[in-house]
Amino acid sequence: MMAFFNILIFFSSNSFAADPILGKSKSQMCMSCHGENGMGISKDIPNLAAQPALSIFYQLIQFRDGLRKGGNMENFAKALTNEDIKDIAAYFSQLPAPPAKSGGDEIKIVLGEKIAQQNYCNSCHAVKFQGQQQAPRLAGQSAEYFIKQLKDLRSAARIDMDGNMGSAAKGLTDEEIEALAAYAESLK
Amino acid sequence: MLFVGSVAVANAQTPPPAAASPAGVPPTWAQGRAVDGMNPSLVPNPSPVTAKAANELQIDKLKVPSGFKVELWASGMVNARSMTESPSGTLYVGTRFPGNVYAVVTKDGKREVKVIAKGLHRPNGVVFTNGSLYVAELSRIIRYDNIEKNLDNPPAPVVVFDALPKDEPHGWKYLKLSPDGKYLYFQIGTPANIIVPPTTHATINRLNLKTNKMEVVATGVRNSVGMDFHPTTKQLWFTNMGRDWAGEDLPNDTLHRLSRNGLNFGYPFCHQGDWLDPEFGKGRSCDEFAKPEVKLGAHVSPIGMRFYTGTQFPNEYKGNIFIAEYGSWNKTKKTGYQVVRVVLDDKNKPVKTEPFITGWLQGETYWGRPADVHVLKDGSMLISDGEAGAIYRVSYGK
Repeated sequence: MMAFFNILIFFSSNSFAADPILGKSKSQMCMSCHGENGMGISKDIPNLAAQPALSIFYQLIQFRDGLRKGGNMENFAKALTNEDIKDIAAYFSQLPAPPAKSGGDEIKIVLGEKIAQQNYCNSCHAVKFQGQQQAPRLAGQSAEYFIKQLKDLRSAARIDMDGNMGSAAKGLTDEEIEALAAYAESLK
Repeated sequence: MLFVGSVAVANAQTPPPAAASPAGVPPTWAQGRAVDGMNPSLVPNPSPVTAKAANELQIDKLKVPSGFKVELWASGMVNARSMTESPSGTLYVGTRFPGNVYAVVTKDGKREVKVIAKGLHRPNGVVFTNGSLYVAELSRIIRYDNIEKNLDNPPAPVVVFDALPKDEPHGWKYLKLSPDGKYLYFQIGTPANIIVPPTTHATINRLNLKTNKMEVVATGVRNSVGMDFHPTTKQLWFTNMGRDWAGEDLPNDTLHRLSRNGLNFGYPFCHQGDWLDPEFGKGRSCDEFAKPEVKLGAHVSPIGMRFYTGTQFPNEYKGNIFIAEYGSWNKTKKTGYQVVRVVLDDKNKPVKTEPFITGWLQGETYWGRPADVHVLKDGSMLISDGEAGAIYRVSYGK
């Protein structure tokens, strides 16, 4: 139902095919923080497992080109070619999705779901926040990482590619961002 | 040109950014989205983060009228959009994302792309004049002096004017030099899909380069990301993007003529000159506002435009307006993604609008998006592609 078909074509029409097996060998350095299973080793490190390949591609390009900074990623990504990035993205994207977190704060989760609907988050991040095309998976993401990113998008500390995430985050309070994070973490 | 009917003069202070919207207000792209309205899966097209390699460009898919030829002119410029050319033939190219400005130089028949600025904030507008390159960022206009001799080591820019709003929505700017060289024209788009905008917004403005004073020349313009001056009447013509989420086929995006300064073109009350806004049009009449010259179709996203001033194309193309249509997102069946031409009669009234180049859209998939057009000295025409990060050249004859 979603309208990002064009990107799928763009991604697959290149003269080489992304290779998850090659991607695994290129991801050795990534795994020391993001885990071999794509799960961040601490709460401030994002889970990459089952992220849409294109969303990893978009972010790594922005890190490599110095547009986005954080976690020293701008340096780790410096030497990567577009082909490397596609292979790495292919590896993490085919890993099993992170488990849903159980036992979260029910009130926060319900509020988070409501805010997600009001702000049409699902239009890009998909019905259950599984992500699609360049829009990252939010389901099962570490709440601590989620909160920091959304606050950084709100304050423009993190680059906002086309203004859509900045305008989405602009009206949110800290409490609402925490509720969205709790909701996202509760999903698989 | 006498300046009559100016609407406002900017104050010297930089306006504060727009106030935070209350919780529950959707992101800009979704504002005005009716619950029972259009196809709910429509979302904006993402910006590209890379440029396509030359061998990934499907130039053979581009269709031109008989006798014309289209070829790749330059590539490798992420999100290549607005173009301006220096007298020596250097082409400068602005972007919305990722914030680069490019220079394309031709030497011994070979073309080289140089990145002359990085990390600017939506440097969409570019104008070259008097040895300097002016760049319109989102909230300021800057200038690179003596740039031609320093393309490999560009000087730090001079800030020309920074008393501009900081709103992100429709904040990127088109920049155009007036024929007399005295003014830079640019738009301040509305900071939303559909609202009653602050008086500063939904306007076309001009900056006097001598006095550094800014004046509003047109109001009620939702967002104009393409302008040019008629070669003989010297009047400003401009493209305008209609609102979203009011219908798959309404309202039309439009082409306008500024017959005198101070005209109001209707936003947010009246769209396309004859269609009252379902919400903001209540109690208003379209007769209050200036009419468009051409209705281009809903959601086609007309941006860069030029009058054809060259002599290479056949006679019937002389004085035509060429418009790059970046293409739709707020419509189920994609539309736009082409360059059209508007034919004017000898009284400068548009009599025909038709596609000039198509083929960036294949079925419901686009591989490129035309962003601006530019007429070279030899009469051939360049077309920038903001999706593929490339520039094509269209020529006629051998």
